[in-house]
This record gives sequence, C-alpha cells and structure tokens, in this order.
Amino acid sequence: MMGVSCKNELDLKPQGVVSSDDLNSPENIEKMIISAYSALGNESIVTPNSLWPWGSLRSGDALKGGDGLGDNSGWNDYEQFVTNRPNNTYTDQMWAQLYNGIARANDALARVNTLDETQFSDKVTRQAELRFLRANWYFMLKILYNRVPYIDENDDKDDYIAIANDEYTSDELWTMIAGEFKFAADNLPENQTEIGRVNKYIALAALAKTQLYQAYKQDDNHNVTSIDQSLLQQVIANCDEVIAGGKYGLADDLAENFLTEFENGKESIFAIQYSKGDGTRYGRIDMGHSLSYTLNPEFGCCGFHIPSQDMVNAFKTADNGLPLFDSYNNGDAVQGDDFLKYSFDPRLEHTVAIPGHPFKYSPDYIFAVSWTRAPATYGAFASLKDMVPPNDPSFQRIPPFMSSSKNWELIRYADVLLWKAEALIELGREDEALPLINQLRTRAANSTGRLKKADGTFSSTFKIATYQPGVNCEWTNAYARQALRYERRMELAMEGNRFFDLVRWGIADTYINNYLTTESAKKAYLKTAHFQKNRDEYLPIPLNQINYSLGLYKQNPGY
Amino acid sequence: MKLILTTMMLLWCLIGIAQQKTVSGTVTSKDLQAPLSGVTVKGAQQTVITDRNGSFIVQANLGEMLIFTYVGMKPDTVTVTANEMPIAVALEYALGDLAEIVVTGYQTQKKADLTGAVSVVKMEDIKSVRVGNPVKSLQGRIPGVDITTNGDPGGGATVRIRGTGTLGNNDPLYVIDGIPTKRGLQEINQDDIESIQVLKDASSASIYGSRSANGVIIVTTKKAKKGVSRIDVNASSTLQYYTSAIDMLNTDQRGEAYWRASVNDGINPNNNQIYQYDWNNDFNNPILKQVILPEFVDAAKTMKPANTNWYDEISQTSVIQNYNVSLTNGGEKGNTFFSLGYLQNKGIVRETQAKKVNARLNTDFNFFDGRLKVGENLNATYANNVLIPTGDVLFTALVQQRIVPVHTVDGGWGGPSAGMTDRHNPVRLIEDNKQNKNYFARIIGNAFADLTIIPNLHFRTSIGADYNSTYARTLQKSYVSGFLVDDANLVQNNQDYDGNLLWQNQLNYTLDLNKNHVDFLLGHESIKFVDQGFFGSRQGYALENIDYSYLDVGTSNINNGGSGSANSLLSYFAKANYSYDSKYLASATIRRDGSSRFGSDNQYGTFPAFSVGWRMSQEEFMKKIPIISDLKLRFSYGHTGNQEIGNYDTYDLYRAIYGTDHVFDRDGGTAYDIEGNDTGTLPSGFVKIQRGNNSLKWETTKEANYGIDFGLFEQRLSGTVEYFVKNTSDILIRPGYLAAIGEGGFQTFNGASMQNKGFEALLTYENEINDELSFSISGNISKYINKVTELPSTVLTAYPGNGTDQVILGHAITSTFGYVADGLFKSQEEVDNSPAQPGKGLGRIRYRDLNGDNVINDRDQAYINDGVPDFVYGLNLNVRWKNFDFSVFFQGMQGIDVSNTYKTFTDFASLWPGSNWGTRTMEAWSPQNTGSTIPALTLNNNNDEGRTSTYFMENGSYLKLRNLQIGYNLKDTFKSIKISNARIFVQGLNLFTIKSKNFTAPDPENPGNGYPLPVMGTIGVDLSF
Repeated sequence: MMGVSCKNELDLKPQGVVSSDDLNSPENIEKMIISAYSALGNESIVTPNSLWPWGSLRSGDALKGGDGLGDNSGWNDYEQFVTNRPNNTYTDQMWAQLYNGIARANDALARVNTLDETQFSDKVTRQAELRFLRANWYFMLKILYNRVPYIDENDDKDDYIAIANDEYTSDELWTMIAGEFKFAADNLPENQTEIGRVNKYIALAALAKTQLYQAYKQDDNHNVTSIDQSLLQQVIANCDEVIAGGKYGLADDLAENFLTEFENGKESIFAIQYSKGDGTRYGRIDMGHSLSYTLNPEFGCCGFHIPSQDMVNAFKTADNGLPLFDSYNNGDAVQGDDFLKYSFDPRLEHTVAIPGHPFKYSPDYIFAVSWTRAPATYGAFASLKDMVPPNDPSFQRIPPFMSSSKNWELIRYADVLLWKAEALIELGREDEALPLINQLRTRAANSTGRLKKADGTFSSTFKIATYQPGVNCEWTNAYARQALRYERRMELAMEGNRFFDLVRWGIADTYINNYLTTESAKKAYLKTAHFQKNRDEYLPIPLNQINYSLGLYKQNPGY
Repeated sequence: MKLILTTMMLLWCLIGIAQQKTVSGTVTSKDLQAPLSGVTVKGAQQTVITDRNGSFIVQANLGEMLIFTYVGMKPDTVTVTANEMPIAVALEYALGDLAEIVVTGYQTQKKADLTGAVSVVKMEDIKSVRVGNPVKSLQGRIPGVDITTNGDPGGGATVRIRGTGTLGNNDPLYVIDGIPTKRGLQEINQDDIESIQVLKDASSASIYGSRSANGVIIVTTKKAKKGVSRIDVNASSTLQYYTSAIDMLNTDQRGEAYWRASVNDGINPNNNQIYQYDWNNDFNNPILKQVILPEFVDAAKTMKPANTNWYDEISQTSVIQNYNVSLTNGGEKGNTFFSLGYLQNKGIVRETQAKKVNARLNTDFNFFDGRLKVGENLNATYANNVLIPTGDVLFTALVQQRIVPVHTVDGGWGGPSAGMTDRHNPVRLIEDNKQNKNYFARIIGNAFADLTIIPNLHFRTSIGADYNSTYARTLQKSYVSGFLVDDANLVQNNQDYDGNLLWQNQLNYTLDLNKNHVDFLLGHESIKFVDQGFFGSRQGYALENIDYSYLDVGTSNINNGGSGSANSLLSYFAKANYSYDSKYLASATIRRDGSSRFGSDNQYGTFPAFSVGWRMSQEEFMKKIPIISDLKLRFSYGHTGNQEIGNYDTYDLYRAIYGTDHVFDRDGGTAYDIEGNDTGTLPSGFVKIQRGNNSLKWETTKEANYGIDFGLFEQRLSGTVEYFVKNTSDILIRPGYLAAIGEGGFQTFNGASMQNKGFEALLTYENEINDELSFSISGNISKYINKVTELPSTVLTAYPGNGTDQVILGHAITSTFGYVADGLFKSQEEVDNSPAQPGKGLGRIRYRDLNGDNVINDRDQAYINDGVPDFVYGLNLNVRWKNFDFSVFFQGMQGIDVSNTYKTFTDFASLWPGSNWGTRTMEAWSPQNTGSTIPALTLNNNNDEGRTSTYFMENGSYLKLRNLQIGYNLKDTFKSIKISNARIFVQGLNLFTIKSKNFTAPDPENPGNGYPLPVMGTIGVDLSF
C-alpha cells in the first residue's frame, strides 16, 4: 500500500528561471553585461537617473512643481531643506536604485574574471566597461550621500552586513572611483561597434569629472578646505585627451542635444539609450522625466520640475551681451512680451517653456499658463530640455504619465570644456579658460535658428556676447571664476548638475540661502526653507539602510 | 460484531430454557435517521451494545424492560412483548451535544471522546445566513477564531485561528470532504455543508502536519442516508445598503478649508487655480465673506463647477439572490445527493457583481453486503465577476473634489483640472470597466473506495483533485477625463489555472476489548500542485466594444507573457485513539511530511502529538452529584508545521526580465538599447531574483492545550474552557534587506520565535420549557496575547523597529512602531519651549521627546500599538415557539487600537493637497478655535504629520448586531401536500454598530478604505418535500 514512495516526487525543478551556474558561458556573461548596462536606464518617476530632484531642485534652478506642496512631498522636503529627514523615501529608493546597478556590475564582473582570454577575447574590454559602470554609480552615490559603503565583485554578499559606510574617507572614495575610471580609460578601445557601450573617451571624461570633484578637498563637515593643484592638472590632461581625440565636439545648435533626431550626435559623450517599440508594453523610456510634462490636452500630467523665477531671470543679459551677474533679479520676466522688455541669452528658450512662447521649437504650438498645474504656487514655466512635443516619434504615453525614448545625455562635450576651464581658472590660468567659455557662448549665439515664431520673429530679445577682455570685461581670476560658474548654470541649466557644483565649490549655503531670500518673495511656500550649512550639502544616509545595517552605517553630520 | 456474536453464543449455552426469548432490533438516531452503533441495551440479565448497523440481539424475559442509553441522547425504554417483530428504537438527542459525531483528521469521533480543542459549528445557527462565503457566516461564532470580512461580492474572508501564528500566510488549512486546500470556502455552497469543525490545537491539527500550524477547518458536505428521500428548495433575496460613507467636504466647504489653510500659512488664498475668495485680507483676524466659484473648472471651459457627491454616484442599494435545490435519495445499494445552487450578488458599488453556480454530486454504492463502498464527492463551481476596480473607485470617490462634475458640458467625462489630484473620475472607472469580466471555474472532488477487509479493519483509498481556472478578457478604453488622457485602447486576455491532485490511502482498525476501545489509523498522502498562466495583449482597436475586442483584431503593440510553478508534498501518518470505559481517553498522532519546497537536508519534518482526557463524570463518585451531567478534563500537546514559502526559496535564482511595469515603480528590466537604434528587439540579460537558502527547514509550532468540558442540569448548561500556550519557532520569513545587496536580495530564513497564549470559553444554556417553547443562549469569549520571544539578527529587519535599541523582541508581532503625538501646540510659548522639531508651530502636532535629547527625530519612536484586542466575543440567542423561530447574534471586539488611515484624508489639507478632505477639517484648530484636537489646516506639511504616530491610532472596539432572524414554519398548513418543512424568514445583517467615540471613521472593522460592509435585509423561504 505504501509502495508509492517515489522520492523524486519531491525533486521539482524551478520553472522559468536559471541558476547562477547556468550563466557562466561567454554568451551568457555577455548578457549579464547587457543587464548591467540596462540599469543605466532603470529608474522610476521619483528617482530619475538625471538626478534633477537633487541636482536642479535643490540648487535654485528648479522648483518641485506638481499639484501642491504635498504632491511628491519628499521632493518638497528636499526643497525646504529643514524638513529633509532621514526617512525620506526617495532618498532610500535612490540609494537602492544605485546599488542595484552596482550589484549587476559586480555580478557580471565576477563572472568575467573567471574566464581567460582564450575563451573570452573581449575580457579586458568588458572588465573595463563593467568597472566604468560601477564607478558611474559610485560617483552618483558619492555626490548624493558622500560616505557610502564600497563593495566590489570580490565581496561575498553575506559579508555586506559588515561593510560600513565610513570604512573609507571621502577622499579615499574619490580615489577609488577615479581608479576605476582610470582602469577603464586605460583598457577601453577608442571606438566600440555598439554606440551604447562605453569607450576610452567616455572613461577619460568621467575620470576628469571625478578628479575635478576630488580636487576640492572637504573636511568632515563638508567645508571646502583646499583645492588640489595636481588633480586639477590631471583634469586638464584628461579633458585634453577627449578634446584631442576629435571623436566629440560641440553640436552646431544647442537644441540638437535635446532632440530625438540628433541622438548620439557628436556632443553626446555618455547618454542613457532609451527605446520604445522594443517589445515592452511602453518602451524602456525616460521615466525620470515623465513628471515634467504639462497639463495641456496633448499631454495631461503632471507639471513637475519647474524652472524658478531666479533661473529664468538669470538668462537676462546686459547691453553688452554678458550676464547680469548681480542684478539679474531686478525685474521679473514672467510671460509673453515680458521677454521682449529685457535681453536674454538664447539658451533661455532651449531651457524654459514660457507662456505665450512657442513650445519646444514648434512655432505654432504655443505654451500657455493653462498648461501649468499650480501656477499660483510654482509659477507658469516648464522645463523644456527633457520634454518632447506630442507629435515627436519618441513620445510615449504610459497612462497616467508620458515620456519619450529620447536619450538623456549624462556627459556632453560642453561639460568637458567647462571642467577644463574650471581647472584652468583654479590653477590661475584663466586666460587659457577664456576661449573655452567663449566657444560655448558663440555656440549659444548661433543656436537661435529653431526659436523663431511663425512670423519669423522671436518671442524674446536675444543678446549674447563672448567675453572680450578689455572690451566688455576685465578677465581677472576672480572674474573668470564668476564667469565660469555662471556659464555652467546657463549651459547646463535644469540638467541635474547645479547643486553638486555648488557643493563642490563650497558655496552651497550662501548661494542657496540668498536664492531662497529672493525667490521666497515670489514663491511664498519657500519662506520656511533654509539651507543648513554642514548638513544639507549631502542627503542623509537613508534611515531604512541604517536600520537594515543594524546601526553599522553612520548618519551624515547634522541629521 | 465478533464480540457480540461471541457473547450471544455464550449466553445461548449458559442460560436454560426459562420464559426467555431472543429479542432483536435496530437503534437509529431520530434526527439523522441513521443507525447508531455503540448504544447500550440493558436488560435484567444481559447488556449488549449495538453494532455498526445499529443492530442488537439480546436475551430477555417477557415483560422485561430494555433500557437503551447512549451518551448525549435521551434514554428510551421498551417492554419486551411476545411480538416477534424486531424492535425499532429511535433515540433523540438530549440537550447538549455529547453524542455528536465530530469529524477529526481522517476519522470521526464522538464529541464526548474528544481530547483536543475542536469546535463544532452549529449549522442550525448559520442556516439562511447566505452571504456568498460560508466562512463569513461563522464570524464571531467560534471562540478563538477571528474572521474579518468586507462587502466585496466576490470577496473572501480572513480567518485567524488563535491569533497571528506566523508571518506571511496565516490562513488555516481547509479540508473539504478530505481534500486539503488553502483556498477558502468561497466556492462551496453553504447549503451543501453538513458540518464544520475547527481543529484549533496542535494535537488535533497535527495529523495534517506541515500545513496545520494555522489551524484546520474541516468541512463535510451532505450525503444521502439510507431510507431518506427528500427534496429541499430554498430561495432568498437580500437588499444591501451602503451606510458607511465617509463625510467629505462639499464644494463650498472645500473652498473654505483651502482658504483657511492658506490664511493660516500667511499665503494669499486667491493664489489658486479653483477658488476665489471675498475676504477681509486680514491674516490676523481673517473673515471669509464668500467663496467664489469659477464659471468653469478647467481652462478649456468644458466643466462647470458641480457639487458631486461621489459616494452617491458610485454606490447603489443592491440585491443578492440565492436559490438552491437539493435532492437526497438513499437506498439499499447506494445513496445520492445532488444539489444546484445559484447566487447573484450585486455589490453596493455600482456594476460590481458576482454570479456563482454550484453543482454538487455526492454518491456512494455498496457492494458485497456493504463490505465495499465506492463513491465520490464532486463540486463544480462556475462564477463570473465584473472586474470593476473597486479599490480605485472607492479611493477616487474619497479623494476626487466635488467641484468636478461627472460629465462635461458636452457629455464627456469630467475629471481633475489644475489644482486637483491626478486621480480618475470614479464614475468613469465604473462605466469604462463594466464590460470586463472574468470567468472562473473550480472543480473539487474525490473518488474513493472503502473496503472492509475483516470486520473493523478498513482500507480506504481516495483520489482527489482541486483545480481552478480563470479566464478574463478586458478592454481598456481610451478616455479624456479632465487633464487625464489616454488615447490608446488595449485588450488583454488572461488564462490561469492552478490546483492540485492528491492521493490518499489509509487503514483503519477498531478494536473493542472489554471496556477498552481502540482506533488505529495508518495513512499516506501525496499531493502535487501546479500553477500556470499566460496573457496576451494588443492595442489599436478600431472599435471600443467588448464584442469586437478580441486579440486578433488589435493592430499594434502585440505583447504576451506567461509563467508557472509547482510544488509537491509526500506524507505518512499514524494515529491511535484509546478509551477505557468512556472514562479514560488518550490519543497519539505522528505525521511525517516531505515538501519539495525545502532543501534536501531538511526535506522531511516530523510532527508528533498526544492528548489525554478524563471523563470525571463517568466516575462513580461523580455520578452521585446529580447536577453534574458531564465533566471532562483534557490536556494535549503537539507539533504542527508551516511551509508557506515560495516554491523555490532554497535556490539562488536568476531570471531574464526584459522589462517591467514602470508606471509607478522602478523598471527592473534587463534589456538595453546598446546599439542605439531606439527601437526594435533589444539584447537582454539576466538579473538575480532571489538568494537561495539551502538550510531552510520547517517552521514548527508547539502547542499545549488545557481544556475542561462540562455539563450541568442534564446538559441544560454546558460549556468548554480552553487555555493554550503556542510557541512558534523557526518562523519562515523573507526580510527586507540591505539595499547594497542589490536586486534579488530577498532570502527566506527560519527566523524569529514567538508565543501566543490565550483562553477561549463557550457557555450555552438551553432549555425546552415545553413542546411549544424552547430556547438557547450561547456566549463565547476569547483572548490571546502575543509576543516575540527570540529574534536572530538575520531577520531583525523584517519587523518594525530601528534595528538597534528598539527591536520587536518582547512585543506583539503585530506591533506598530512610531511617534507619540502629544496634542497640539496651542501657544507660541509652548512652541518656543518645546524640543527642536522641524516644522513645529501653532496648531501643529507636538511629538513627544521619548529619548529626552531635546530633539524630535527618528530616535523618538516607540512601539505605540500592539494590534491585539483585549478580547473578542459573540452572543447568540435562539428561541423557538410553536412554529416561530427567532435568533439574534451579536459580535464584538474590545480593547483594540487600529490605525485609521482615513484620517490622512479627513483631518489634513496638507497630506493630500489636491484631493477632497473630510468635514472634520471644518473643525480644525485655529487661533479662533483653540479647543480642537485636529491640527491647524496648512498647505505645507513641514511637520511631517503623516508619519506613523498615535494620532492615527484609534479605539477600534465595536459591538455589532450581526444577525437578527425571524422565521415561521408553515408545515402544518401544507401538511396535505406532503411538505415536511416550509419555513419563511426575514433577517437583517450588520444592523447596527456600537463603536468608540474616539474612532472617527464610520466602521472600525474597515479602517483602511476596504470594500465597505453593507447593511443587509433578507427574505427567504426553505422548503422540504
């Protein structure tokens, strides 16, 4: 009667999955590498890989937007600073998102390491790619959280619980990240057949960026104490190599960086390759910017990521075509013809959607206050660089949201020029920086072709000039530094860098509190906001992670 | 049998040839019309016991009295006459239920002989309470069994036996005619159920081994009995009412609340997209003269301001209709029971509907003089449900502002515009989904053969199946609704099936030797589960019509997917019950289970149990105390198991995940456009989805149970008291993990241990005043406490706490960790003199500085609610007078705090800024209204008031009138047309609730926006022919 005890009744193979051992063939390892790359685009509507909620929102460039203060209130807490608490869920989600990428890179890397080059001829290249990707995520973690646990492919997952976030100093972390980019730069080919793979120049650019951040030495309370001259020289050398490589350059028109049809153009050094019509329901699209879209019938949601009045005013230029460094906030340009009363840097109309002006280079498609969600609170601007018009082939609805498969450039050539210029200025070689900055101003001046209204006129008065020492300025070191920092804001506005620049330069507290004083007179909700020096330079370590680490992770100062 | 024959022969030889005669006959149960074995037949010279068929043969003198006694039945007396006809005796149940036959694991026992904690549901009490799921009607009736339900027409119920026993799946095991299932009873027709038993303690449940730790509910369906031929028909119709809508602001009030919030913040209230205000512009002494509504709500001028009561728009008074017919036919060679049931339940949310058809066929046939019995039990259920997204509908009815009209001026859908939350028009959700249905079928049944090898030795084999399958075809329509727009339609087909096949074999042997009675059981069981499903979807439909919307005619975005999994169980078990003179009782069980879910090291688990009982009332010294009719002491101890984890948790697994749904969540895909083509099929990789744990083993619950059963005054007053201590160890859990581990960091562990201790009591008083009037009153109460007793660091993070100095050890597993809200700041002085608290201010919630460091931060959290009630109780009264019957049932829960999540909507303007708010906001604190406990309105949640705190913990105690029923039996009226029963009845369900004033939402049973529980009124008729 009991003759049924077939033991293998209990041995059931898992269905629809693979084991770790199944993935060690060269073909499957290549797929594990793709999986690591795909993490570049894996993001949610609240954790954009462009970093705008941290880089633009906290910098005075952008306001949260949305329905009101409580709509994605975690972002409101970033904007208010004082209420940014360690339990902010976005802070935790972003942390996890970045470590997900790192884990994918580590997993693939551990497998690549086991093969020898006779089995896997691309071994070193792939190692370099993976180490680049991993370092890219550590870089993001570093500028967001400062002290983070550093884990590589040799650490066993069971031991992660013993890897503290204060195992390495801030400077040691920079050195390790730079070391990874250096390995990548030394071992990657100049060209890869697939455009989405990283190459030598991308690694050099990332290395230069890392060294620039590392050059500004910070103490434990985030005060910038000195600037490392030799690192600055390495920044210049690495930028020079990218420039000299000739593979990349400035696009003819700034607009090309933000238009689908020019994806992977010559200015695009490192971009997230988004896609649609790719076999997924809504495409692997740019979800990180999906909340930027507006409430006009062609879109429908959600009106976040709003340029501040300060940001818009900053595009004003003086009669000599140079920025109004200190007085740009004298008089607000809000909508329509306001923009004819002052003169502006043309980059304004590439960056900001303005009521009464054409939307995104479409002369007949006029942006209006009615497109905006909460103009009384956040004003009636919108962010342009991240949006595409509804008839763009890359536009994709993902109800109730929408976005596009347009690539997002994480590193563009303009940024490389500005890093080099910054290093030169900090080395006292401001004269060499001048032509670099002027290159961008010249390109900006030439980027008005798409900005015309249907009648051939412009909605704003454009006036921009290059810096001409002795003619329209005195190109002193201090002036050059001011010009460089201003130029970065104009060129890279709303692209998610600004806050990190301010922290790098050690001016975040004064700059942001000044901004808050001015902007809160127009946006009453900012009256309660205040940047707390020696705390708000970095996010808190997420409370969840401190708890999950059983108290091993140490909280950042001030939280 | 053998014993009786032997006795008979001995008697035949020994006794001479006086005026004796041999008397034969049968004893049956009058109610069940079934033979009764074990009845003592006592004559002057000889005492015998009836056999399996209720037959007896006894030697007696003419004129002598034969006394028939049986525990729990009224004794009967028959005088021996010269008549040669066999004597037929039909015994009636006495008060109390000692003779009741209770189905325990794989066996039946007399209630009087039970030694474990087994509760028997009185089917009579829940008769006619037909709400679509038999479990729902058990709510509050069994001590130690907590049932929570909602009003969803297709919905299930949550059943917790003796508290929260583990993490993850706490559902009991159901055993339906011997077929174990975790899938509840919602597909079983209540009118088919003969009996329901709940095995609460480990000793009675452990025969079900690895799946029994949460308790076992055994359901036996009706079978025909020899000689009974009957038709039963019943019909009922129920009206359901929505009575628990939340009080939300009307259009003007919403405007006023916004004005107040804005003024409190010192911000010009006219800076908003909807309302304008005529006010005195004095922030220090603000006076609102008028709320001015715009001519149109939206910039496109399609929506005029309305005052839409969304709850009225989405709800309805609805009807449940229920019809059942059953045919019972018992004969010499076989018995057949057949039933058909139909239930149509329209929910109180418009267009929600569940239809269900049940068919049951239970048959058995006798061969070789009853030595072989072959039969089957088969239940088929077919259901279809309208797929209204009720969660979204109820949520959007709560949050959608009332200024939004249902329709635009030209008949389109109203919807949110600037200044409003980006949530749907709930009426559109209903109307655009009402064409979507799923079709569900479930077959549960078995075929069995029972062979009597030698008398008292039975071999039974049974093959069972329990499969269900769901098919759905849904059309998502395109829409424009305010600023929410989707211009693409989509059709999706789903097909899923899951279920199991099982094979059971068992040997039963019964031995009676003198006063010793022993039952042996030896068994084997093998179960295989599978679960498979796939879907296909397309877009680009020319017509948005469900009759058109098949996959074939979609023109774009062709998509599909599918998955499957399986697991298996292999078990051996044995049980022995022993009783001596119905006085000393003992039972022992052992079960060994193997599960495919565990690694080869720990694939098998062994679950032993034993129990003992002493029926003191059978002792001579107790028999002298006439008021005590029954007294039994019981003790039991046993191990039960839990294997509710994923099917493959021992394995380290990877998966190719091309892309995932990233509407609200992070994309977790592995495909990347590495070539920069922007479109087309992408190369894709693999990602880790879980970490394996090869040392996983069974979760074990060890439970000791102490019980007393007693009966007084000839069982008029009877009761049971149980005390239990239940220790669960190696709890299977998948804790959250350090994010640095990356995706697939989930790993299942054997983790914490915890203890549940508690008691349950049931007391019944019943009395027959006379033939015309009888009544019974019954009350039950139960209480338990729960605490975590051991907590390894690997799983510490799975529980509320901070991972270091605040851990759940010593607290109830259901505890909440959060802040203590210490009232509101009522003066600037209070604000200034309080600890640093970012966002503090007048009228704001003051959080308590628990660690005394003068800063309010995450270190100021504590365990603020244990989530365990002080006690739960039920009270049932039945009265029968002539042909009338009346019953009333109350159920309640006392001393529990619940988290009232509605409060985030009803009390704040800042937490859900674009949504509608509760009328409570009209009474919020302000410098002019300083007596309020509701925080001052603000648009800016700088104080983070949505954090978990005691502000949201409210007294969830309640007492509900669950059921009130009056019936009248017309059988006397219809006697002439052979109707044996014709009862008509009316009943009301959930007629009223008494709750604490402290609870600010309508129904403490539903503090979290679930499908509301309706008030129901029913009329019905039960007929038997």
